[in-house]
Amino acid sequence: MDRIGKQHHIRVVLLIGALLLFFGTGAQGAIVGISGNSFNLVAKQDVIVTSDGDSTIIWGYAVTNAGGETGRAQYPGPTLIVIEDVPVTITLSNELPNESGNASIVFPGHQVTATGGVDGLMTQEARQAHLKPTNAEKQVTYTFTPTEPGTYLYRSGTRADLQVEMGLFGALIVRPAATPAGGDPAKKYAYNHVDSEYDREVLYLMSETDPIIHRQVEERQWNLIDFTKYFPTNWFINGRNYPDLLAENNVPWLPTQPYNCQPRMHPGEKLLIRFIGAGRQTHPMHFHGNDFETIAADGRLLSSAPGAGPDLAWQATTIKSIPGQTADLVWGWTGKELGWDIYGHSPEDPLEPYEYAPNHGKPFPVVLPPRDAVTYGAFYSGSPFLGGEGELPPGHGGLNAAGGYFYMWHSHTEKELTSNDIWPGGLISFMIVEHPDVPID
Amino acid sequence: MKRRTRYGSMIVLLTLFGWLWALTVSANVLVQCPGDTNGDGISEDPNIVCRSITGGDGYTTMADGLGLYIFSFGDADGVPADRVIADLTLKAQLPAPTIVLKQGQELYLTMTNVGMAVRPDLFDPHTVHWHGFPNAAPIFDGLPEPSPSANMGNSMTYYYNAVVPGTYFYHCHVEAAEHMQMGMIGNLWVTPKQDGTSIGGFTKFAYNDEDGSTGYDVAFPLLLTGFDSFFHIASDTVQALPFAAMFDEYPMINGRGYPDTINPNDILNQEGFGAQKIPSLITATAGQRILLRVSNISTTHQYTFATTLGVPMKVVGRGAALLRGPDGKDTSMTVNVLNVGGGQDYDVILDTSGVAPGTYFLYTTDLANLSNGDQERGGIMTEIVINPL
Repeated sequence: MDRIGKQHHIRVVLLIGALLLFFGTGAQGAIVGISGNSFNLVAKQDVIVTSDGDSTIIWGYAVTNAGGETGRAQYPGPTLIVIEDVPVTITLSNELPNESGNASIVFPGHQVTATGGVDGLMTQEARQAHLKPTNAEKQVTYTFTPTEPGTYLYRSGTRADLQVEMGLFGALIVRPAATPAGGDPAKKYAYNHVDSEYDREVLYLMSETDPIIHRQVEERQWNLIDFTKYFPTNWFINGRNYPDLLAENNVPWLPTQPYNCQPRMHPGEKLLIRFIGAGRQTHPMHFHGNDFETIAADGRLLSSAPGAGPDLAWQATTIKSIPGQTADLVWGWTGKELGWDIYGHSPEDPLEPYEYAPNHGKPFPVVLPPRDAVTYGAFYSGSPFLGGEGELPPGHGGLNAAGGYFYMWHSHTEKELTSNDIWPGGLISFMIVEHPDVPID
Repeated sequence: MKRRTRYGSMIVLLTLFGWLWALTVSANVLVQCPGDTNGDGISEDPNIVCRSITGGDGYTTMADGLGLYIFSFGDADGVPADRVIADLTLKAQLPAPTIVLKQGQELYLTMTNVGMAVRPDLFDPHTVHWHGFPNAAPIFDGLPEPSPSANMGNSMTYYYNAVVPGTYFYHCHVEAAEHMQMGMIGNLWVTPKQDGTSIGGFTKFAYNDEDGSTGYDVAFPLLLTGFDSFFHIASDTVQALPFAAMFDEYPMINGRGYPDTINPNDILNQEGFGAQKIPSLITATAGQRILLRVSNISTTHQYTFATTLGVPMKVVGRGAALLRGPDGKDTSMTVNVLNVGGGQDYDVILDTSGVAPGTYFLYTTDLANLSNGDQERGGIMTEIVINPL
């Protein structure tokens, strides 16, 4: 680590500490978004901050609420949560700066009817204000009936090379209308099959930016924008880089980046990961801790026949996020077969939920080095045991007071773990498996 | 040798003396090997495998002759604890020493941080991350954030109960973009319990398939990676590291570009040490089945490869898992071209039945990666020699 990197690392650690202070007991187990069947969006320009300390112009979809007030643009756009077979209506107005182009939305995987606005290449578009549109041209309305539950992407269908780079995209989640046959109404299912059951869910929407393009847009140097030289150096999950993505949803200091990425769960639970490639790069995302199972792609269960459930599911620890593609992964962790007791139990102690009984009371297998022989990471509790605690060196932040097990979920194209030349940043996130006694929501 | 920096070597001489003296005072090297009764570093219990590696630095030679500075792991098996630092300084290997286990064995892997002799201004810890280990615990996951990582002059022993067979790899996870670009990567696989039984005419298998579908006669690891020479030179010459500009232009198989991939000897570095020990020449007798254990650990590139054998590749494993659905349905894939993203690993079987004896190629179909820097006909390519029966 060079010296600048070290100083930055210290700042990052301090930042994480500050962020963790704000960790509340909000609903950690659900994806935050806007639910319903009618949404009013406005395409606007705004600014995001990146973890290298920079700020960047973006274009995003903003939400107009029932009172007619329009919020700030969001990066990514609002996560739209709808119900299978319930018709959805989305209006879009255009407040993008001059020369940005008209505004539109396409919903891959859905049969959409678009009315109003002006004709565009892919769909109807909301005309730019400086072109003095008629009332009918100002706003476009998209209607569709989502017939298949699952995870989807929506994005701009106008000048998509530039407008998607600028941030006009978001997640669309279609929830099943009813509990699947043989299912338990008290449980959650991603699809119309019992084998899509989950306990918690998290969104992983990947995107990237080339800061040079955004600077050219900011300075209105339209003729200089050249995508043949596209070279992104900033990467995002749900619109934030590491470590900003650890902070809560809707924190006031990230007003245009409302969504975090901080999954937490208990051993034995099933986490549904809704995985979306919203940008133009492929990111091989690697999940520490255990294999996931990919049960669906592009809003369809990986089934050999209708009703067969995810019988073609595949497991691995790395999956490529493909531009425009979505996938649903199920991840769980129990610590089984590790060969030692992750709780540090004595044989006479009671079992924890989902504890792998053959390892109960088995001693820790090695002698750990003395404290001064090693560097303690910011998320090390000082103990190898789940829910454990140990003596920490002076100056350690103590950021893992509950003794959770932290697993990095990150891009394995490791240069993407930076934010515009600054390590660490970019596509790093952490799953925390908490001790069964630690409340999560 | 096209380029050679004396800078690093000077620093080595100037600093090693005082620095090693300091280490003898503070070093905390403890090689842990239960069941080793005679102190040779080998357990007398056949179910326990003890390995000793170092984390440090060294040099490599690219196939066009360019010398590049690396960080990686060195081989300290059998080296007494009090000799590890003295004997293994500047002895990093590319790739790191290969680790092979049998399903059910327990691995005690001691990693000693011998420091970066060429970069004494760096005081980086190192770790071992077993990539893909199922149900891992952070203490042995090698992520520096939620675990301890060994400082210079100190060792840490990692424990793994290897119950899931398959193709994995390992790497250092400290400042991963830097340490992995610098070369801290190695092959690792676990052979299945089914090995030694006879199913479908085979006695060796990639997985416990129960039907011989992953049976093979000969196996070869193909660890794909690449170096960005500018990054390595910047590190060697104590310059700011170009993270954003990082872009590999020395694509390699097992740490070598073609034609070094078919060289049976060690590739010597500027210190005369054979840091690149793993050739990738693939040989088989006509009719045999070849298993390729393919992984990609590039920090910048995905790689796609094919062969000129004229027979398809059967992909039987992915991510250290047999390609079967949850209810056992066969989900193996027959392909001619396979893309491997960073962090992915695949088990691929080539059935050479009907292939005429001769020399064939395995090569990347991302043709720009058939290069060693600006030298053509290099990079990710090796030869497959099919011998007559």
